[in-house]
Amino acid sequence: MFCLSLIEHNLPLPPHLLNRPLLDAIKEELERLFLDKVLSNLGLCISIYDIRTIEGGFVFPVSLGFFDDIKVPVHLLPHKSRMGDDGIWIWEHECGDLPMDLDEEVHFRVTKINYPPIPLEQDANASPFSPMEIIGEIYGDGLGLLSWWAD
Amino acid sequence: MKTLQANAGVLTNLEVLEFLRARGATSDPMGCLGAVAPSECKVFDYLVNTPACNQTRGAIDEFLKRCEKFKLAKAEKFNIINLRPSNQALIDPIIEYCEKRLTKDEARGIDEVQELVDSVLEVLPPPPAKPDEEMQDLEEPPTAKPMEEN
Repeated sequence: MFCLSLIEHNLPLPPHLLNRPLLDAIKEELERLFLDKVLSNLGLCISIYDIRTIEGGFVFPVSLGFFDDIKVPVHLLPHKSRMGDDGIWIWEHECGDLPMDLDEEVHFRVTKINYPPIPLEQDANASPFSPMEIIGEIYGDGLGLLSWWAD
Repeated sequence: MKTLQANAGVLTNLEVLEFLRARGATSDPMGCLGAVAPSECKVFDYLVNTPACNQTRGAIDEFLKRCEKFKLAKAEKFNIINLRPSNQALIDPIIEYCEKRLTKDEARGIDEVQELVDSVLEVLPPPPAKPDEEMQDLEEPPTAKPMEEN
Protein backbone atom coordinates (compact mmCIF):
# COMPACT_ATOMS: atom_id res chain seq x y z
CA MET A 1 0.00 0.00 0.00
CA PHE A 2 1.29 3.45 -0.84
CA CYS A 3 1.68 5.98 1.93
CA LEU A 4 2.83 9.58 2.23
CA SER A 5 5.61 10.47 4.65
CA LEU A 6 6.69 13.96 5.62
CA ILE A 7 10.42 14.41 5.99
CA GLU A 8 12.74 17.29 6.66
CA HIS A 9 16.22 17.41 5.22
CA ASN A 10 19.16 19.80 5.14
CA LEU A 11 20.19 19.86 1.54
CA PRO A 12 23.43 21.29 0.24
CA LEU A 13 23.03 21.88 -3.48
CA PRO A 14 26.01 20.97 -5.64
CA PRO A 15 27.26 23.81 -7.86
CA HIS A 16 26.26 22.23 -11.16
CA LEU A 17 22.61 22.88 -10.24
CA LEU A 18 23.34 26.59 -9.73
CA ASN A 19 21.71 27.99 -12.82
CA ARG A 20 18.47 26.00 -12.54
CA PRO A 21 15.31 27.35 -10.92
CA LEU A 22 15.60 26.60 -7.22
CA LEU A 23 12.59 24.27 -6.98
CA ASP A 24 13.82 22.14 -9.90
CA ALA A 25 17.30 21.95 -8.46
CA ILE A 26 16.00 20.93 -5.06
CA LYS A 27 13.66 18.31 -6.52
CA GLU A 28 16.45 16.84 -8.63
CA GLU A 29 18.75 16.63 -5.64
CA LEU A 30 16.02 15.07 -3.45
CA GLU A 31 15.38 12.48 -6.15
CA ARG A 32 19.06 11.69 -6.37
CA LEU A 33 19.15 11.10 -2.62
CA PHE A 34 15.87 9.32 -1.96
CA LEU A 35 14.22 8.02 -5.13
CA ASP A 36 14.18 4.23 -5.41
CA LYS A 37 15.99 3.94 -2.07
CA VAL A 38 14.83 2.26 1.11
CA LEU A 39 14.42 4.75 3.94
CA SER A 40 14.92 3.12 7.32
CA ASN A 41 11.62 2.47 9.13
CA LEU A 42 9.67 4.14 6.34
CA GLY A 43 9.92 1.93 3.27
CA LEU A 44 10.91 2.26 -0.38
CA CYS A 45 10.65 5.82 -1.65
CA ILE A 46 8.94 5.63 -5.05
CA SER A 47 8.44 9.32 -5.71
CA ILE A 48 8.86 12.83 -4.38
CA TYR A 49 5.21 13.79 -3.97
CA ASP A 50 5.62 17.49 -3.32
CA ILE A 51 7.85 20.03 -1.61
CA ARG A 52 6.06 21.72 1.26
CA THR A 53 8.47 24.43 2.34
CA ILE A 54 11.95 25.55 1.55
CA GLU A 55 13.65 27.38 4.35
CA GLY A 56 17.03 28.78 4.97
CA GLY A 57 19.52 28.86 2.30
CA PHE A 58 22.25 29.10 4.85
CA VAL A 59 24.96 31.54 4.16
CA PHE A 60 28.56 31.73 5.07
CA PRO A 61 29.23 35.36 5.96
CA VAL A 62 32.38 37.13 4.81
CA SER A 63 33.55 40.65 5.62
CA LEU A 64 36.17 42.97 4.16
CA GLY A 65 36.18 45.13 7.26
CA PHE A 66 35.06 48.14 5.27
CA PHE A 67 32.28 46.15 3.56
CA ASP A 68 30.20 43.38 5.11
CA ASP A 69 27.44 42.46 2.70
CA ILE A 70 29.22 39.47 1.27
CA LYS A 71 27.51 36.11 1.39
CA VAL A 72 28.52 32.69 0.23
CA PRO A 73 25.32 30.63 -0.10
CA VAL A 74 25.61 27.05 1.05
CA HIS A 75 25.56 25.63 -2.47
CA LEU A 76 28.68 27.62 -3.32
CA LEU A 77 30.70 26.22 -0.44
CA PRO A 78 33.12 23.39 -1.18
CA HIS A 79 31.18 20.29 -2.09
CA LYS A 80 30.34 18.32 1.04
CA SER A 81 30.22 21.01 3.65
CA ARG A 82 28.13 20.87 6.76
CA MET A 83 27.39 23.19 9.62
CA GLY A 84 28.67 21.91 12.95
CA ASP A 85 26.73 22.19 16.21
CA ASP A 86 28.70 25.30 17.11
CA GLY A 87 27.55 27.09 13.95
CA ILE A 88 30.93 26.74 12.25
CA TRP A 89 30.90 25.44 8.69
CA ILE A 90 33.09 22.41 8.05
CA TRP A 91 34.45 21.16 4.75
CA GLU A 92 34.27 17.35 4.75
CA HIS A 93 37.50 16.73 2.89
CA GLU A 94 38.70 13.22 2.16
CA CYS A 95 41.78 13.92 4.30
CA GLY A 96 39.62 14.97 7.24
CA ASP A 97 37.26 17.69 8.41
CA LEU A 98 38.42 21.26 7.75
CA PRO A 99 36.51 23.75 9.91
CA MET A 100 35.95 27.25 8.54
CA ASP A 101 36.79 29.04 11.76
CA LEU A 102 35.73 32.65 12.29
CA ASP A 103 38.17 35.48 11.61
CA GLU A 104 40.20 33.37 9.20
CA GLU A 105 41.32 34.94 5.97
CA VAL A 106 39.53 33.56 2.89
CA HIS A 107 39.69 34.02 -0.86
CA PHE A 108 36.34 33.98 -2.62
CA ARG A 109 35.33 34.37 -6.25
CA VAL A 110 32.62 36.94 -6.98
CA THR A 111 29.73 35.17 -8.76
CA LYS A 112 27.16 37.96 -8.65
CA ILE A 113 26.65 41.48 -7.40
CA ASN A 114 23.09 42.45 -6.49
CA TYR A 115 21.87 46.03 -6.32
CA PRO A 116 18.43 45.68 -4.75
CA PRO A 117 16.05 48.61 -5.32
CA ILE A 118 15.83 51.01 -2.39
CA PRO A 119 12.63 50.16 -0.46
CA LEU A 120 10.18 53.01 0.12
CA GLU A 121 9.22 51.67 3.54
CA GLN A 122 10.77 49.11 5.84
CA ASP A 123 9.47 47.20 8.83
CA ALA A 124 10.98 48.21 12.13
CA ASN A 125 12.48 44.74 12.55
CA ALA A 126 13.75 44.26 9.01
CA SER A 127 17.50 43.98 8.64
CA PRO A 128 19.10 47.25 7.52
CA PHE A 129 18.87 47.77 3.79
CA SER A 130 22.02 46.95 1.85
CA PRO A 131 22.20 48.68 -1.55
CA MET A 132 24.91 46.29 -2.74
CA GLU A 133 25.23 42.62 -1.99
CA ILE A 134 28.05 40.41 -3.20
CA ILE A 135 27.43 36.71 -3.69
CA GLY A 136 30.65 34.77 -3.60
CA GLU A 137 31.77 31.22 -4.02
CA ILE A 138 34.55 29.36 -2.33
CA TYR A 139 34.27 26.21 -4.37
CA GLY A 140 37.43 25.30 -6.21
CA ASP A 141 41.18 25.16 -5.84
CA GLY A 142 42.74 28.08 -4.07
CA LEU A 143 39.44 29.30 -2.66
CA GLY A 144 38.22 29.22 0.90
CA LEU A 145 40.55 29.50 3.85
CA LEU A 146 44.04 30.54 2.83
CA SER A 147 45.44 28.14 5.38
CA TRP A 148 44.11 25.28 3.26
CA TRP A 149 46.33 26.22 0.36
CA ALA A 150 49.40 27.48 2.17
CA ASP A 151 52.77 26.26 0.91
CA MET B 1 17.14 13.48 7.18
CA LYS B 2 14.46 13.79 9.81
CA THR B 3 11.11 12.03 9.64
CA LEU B 4 8.43 14.53 10.67
CA GLN B 5 5.47 12.22 10.03
CA ALA B 6 6.06 8.60 9.06
CA ASN B 7 2.45 8.25 8.01
CA ALA B 8 1.03 11.48 6.66
CA GLY B 9 -1.76 9.72 4.80
CA VAL B 10 -2.38 6.65 2.68
CA LEU B 11 -2.87 6.89 -1.06
CA THR B 12 -4.99 4.55 -3.13
CA ASN B 13 -3.33 2.96 -6.13
CA LEU B 14 -5.51 5.21 -8.26
CA GLU B 15 -4.08 8.35 -6.63
CA VAL B 16 -0.50 7.19 -7.18
CA LEU B 17 -1.33 6.24 -10.76
CA GLU B 18 -2.87 9.66 -11.43
CA PHE B 19 0.09 11.39 -9.79
CA LEU B 20 2.60 9.55 -11.99
CA ARG B 21 0.46 10.03 -15.09
CA ALA B 22 0.23 13.78 -14.42
CA ARG B 23 4.03 13.87 -14.21
CA GLY B 24 4.23 12.32 -17.67
CA ALA B 25 4.46 8.57 -17.11
CA THR B 26 3.05 6.43 -19.90
CA SER B 27 2.92 2.74 -20.73
CA ASP B 28 5.53 3.27 -23.39
CA PRO B 29 8.88 2.93 -21.61
CA MET B 30 10.59 5.23 -24.12
CA GLY B 31 7.90 7.86 -23.65
CA CYS B 32 8.62 7.98 -19.93
CA LEU B 33 12.22 9.09 -20.40
CA GLY B 34 12.87 12.56 -19.11
CA ALA B 35 9.45 12.96 -17.54
CA VAL B 36 9.80 10.41 -14.77
CA ALA B 37 12.64 8.29 -13.45
CA PRO B 38 12.94 4.67 -14.66
CA SER B 39 12.02 3.41 -11.19
CA GLU B 40 8.85 5.52 -11.27
CA CYS B 41 8.05 4.12 -14.70
CA LYS B 42 8.21 0.62 -13.23
CA VAL B 43 5.77 1.60 -10.50
CA PHE B 44 3.47 3.02 -13.18
CA ASP B 45 3.67 -0.20 -15.18
CA TYR B 46 2.76 -2.18 -12.09
CA LEU B 47 -0.22 0.06 -11.29
CA VAL B 48 -1.59 0.08 -14.82
CA ASN B 49 -2.01 -3.67 -14.49
CA THR B 50 -4.05 -3.40 -11.30
CA PRO B 51 -7.76 -2.57 -10.94
CA ALA B 52 -6.73 1.07 -10.40
CA CYS B 53 -6.25 1.42 -14.15
CA ASN B 54 -9.91 2.09 -14.85
CA GLN B 55 -11.13 3.33 -11.49
CA THR B 56 -12.47 6.84 -10.94
CA ARG B 57 -12.52 9.06 -7.87
CA GLY B 58 -16.31 9.04 -8.07
CA ALA B 59 -16.48 5.26 -7.90
CA ILE B 60 -14.15 5.20 -4.91
CA ASP B 61 -16.19 7.84 -3.06
CA GLU B 62 -19.35 5.87 -3.80
CA PHE B 63 -17.78 2.64 -2.54
CA LEU B 64 -16.58 4.32 0.67
CA LYS B 65 -20.12 5.57 1.32
CA ARG B 66 -21.64 2.15 0.72
CA CYS B 67 -19.23 0.32 2.99
CA GLU B 68 -19.50 2.76 5.93
CA LYS B 69 -22.02 0.50 7.65
CA PHE B 70 -19.53 -2.35 7.85
CA LYS B 71 -17.14 -0.24 9.96
CA LEU B 72 -14.04 -1.42 8.17
CA ALA B 73 -10.58 -0.14 9.08
CA LYS B 74 -8.97 2.35 6.69
CA ALA B 75 -6.39 -0.20 5.57
CA GLU B 76 -9.12 -2.75 4.86
CA LYS B 77 -11.09 -0.28 2.74
CA PHE B 78 -7.98 0.71 0.82
CA ASN B 79 -7.01 -2.91 0.21
CA ILE B 80 -10.48 -3.65 -1.13
CA ILE B 81 -10.30 -0.62 -3.43
CA ASN B 82 -6.83 -1.54 -4.64
CA LEU B 83 -7.48 -5.26 -5.11
CA ARG B 84 -11.17 -5.24 -6.08
CA PRO B 85 -11.95 -8.69 -4.61
CA SER B 86 -14.83 -10.10 -6.62
CA ASN B 87 -16.06 -12.90 -4.33
CA GLN B 88 -16.22 -13.86 -0.66
CA ALA B 89 -13.10 -16.01 -0.76
CA LEU B 90 -11.04 -13.07 -2.02
CA ILE B 91 -12.49 -10.65 0.53
CA ASP B 92 -11.90 -12.94 3.50
CA PRO B 93 -8.13 -12.44 3.93
CA ILE B 94 -8.55 -8.67 3.64
CA ILE B 95 -10.84 -8.29 6.64
CA GLU B 96 -9.53 -9.19 10.06
CA TYR B 97 -11.86 -11.44 12.07
CA CYS B 98 -14.28 -11.28 9.16
CA GLU B 99 -16.67 -13.92 10.57
CA LYS B 100 -17.01 -11.98 13.83
CA ARG B 101 -17.43 -8.52 12.36
CA LEU B 102 -19.66 -9.20 9.37
CA THR B 103 -22.91 -10.97 10.08
CA LYS B 104 -23.85 -14.11 8.22
CA ASP B 105 -27.21 -15.50 9.24
CA GLU B 106 -28.84 -17.71 6.65
CA ALA B 107 -32.00 -18.14 8.71
CA ARG B 108 -32.60 -14.40 8.82
CA GLY B 109 -31.35 -13.94 5.28
CA ILE B 110 -28.45 -11.72 6.27
CA ASP B 111 -25.12 -12.03 4.55
CA GLU B 112 -23.08 -8.90 5.09
CA VAL B 113 -20.03 -10.43 3.43
CA GLN B 114 -22.03 -10.90 0.26
CA GLU B 115 -23.40 -7.36 0.62
CA LEU B 116 -19.85 -6.09 0.72
CA VAL B 117 -18.87 -8.18 -2.30
CA ASP B 118 -21.94 -6.86 -4.12
CA SER B 119 -20.90 -3.27 -3.38
CA VAL B 120 -17.51 -4.01 -4.86
CA LEU B 121 -18.98 -5.61 -7.95
CA GLU B 122 -21.54 -2.86 -8.48
CA VAL B 123 -19.43 0.20 -7.79
CA LEU B 124 -15.81 -0.59 -8.66
CA PRO B 125 -15.27 -1.31 -12.36
CA PRO B 126 -13.82 -4.71 -13.27
CA PRO B 127 -10.26 -4.43 -14.52
CA PRO B 128 -9.82 -5.08 -18.24
CA ALA B 129 -9.06 -8.71 -19.02
CA LYS B 130 -5.35 -9.34 -19.51
CA PRO B 131 -4.41 -10.61 -22.98
CA ASP B 132 -2.46 -13.56 -21.59
CA GLU B 133 -5.09 -14.46 -19.00
CA GLU B 134 -5.23 -18.06 -20.23
CA MET B 135 -1.51 -18.52 -19.91
CA GLN B 136 -1.59 -17.46 -16.26
CA ASP B 137 -2.89 -20.82 -15.12
CA LEU B 138 0.24 -22.46 -16.44
CA GLU B 139 2.60 -19.98 -14.83
CA GLU B 140 3.97 -19.75 -11.33
CA PRO B 141 2.37 -17.20 -8.95
CA PRO B 142 2.32 -13.68 -10.43
CA THR B 143 5.55 -12.49 -8.83
CA ALA B 144 7.70 -14.72 -11.06
CA LYS B 145 9.35 -12.96 -13.98
CA PRO B 146 7.36 -13.22 -17.23
CA MET B 147 8.25 -15.89 -19.78
CA GLU B 148 10.47 -14.69 -22.58
CA GLU B 149 8.67 -13.94 -25.82
CA ASN B 150 9.76 -15.91 -28.88
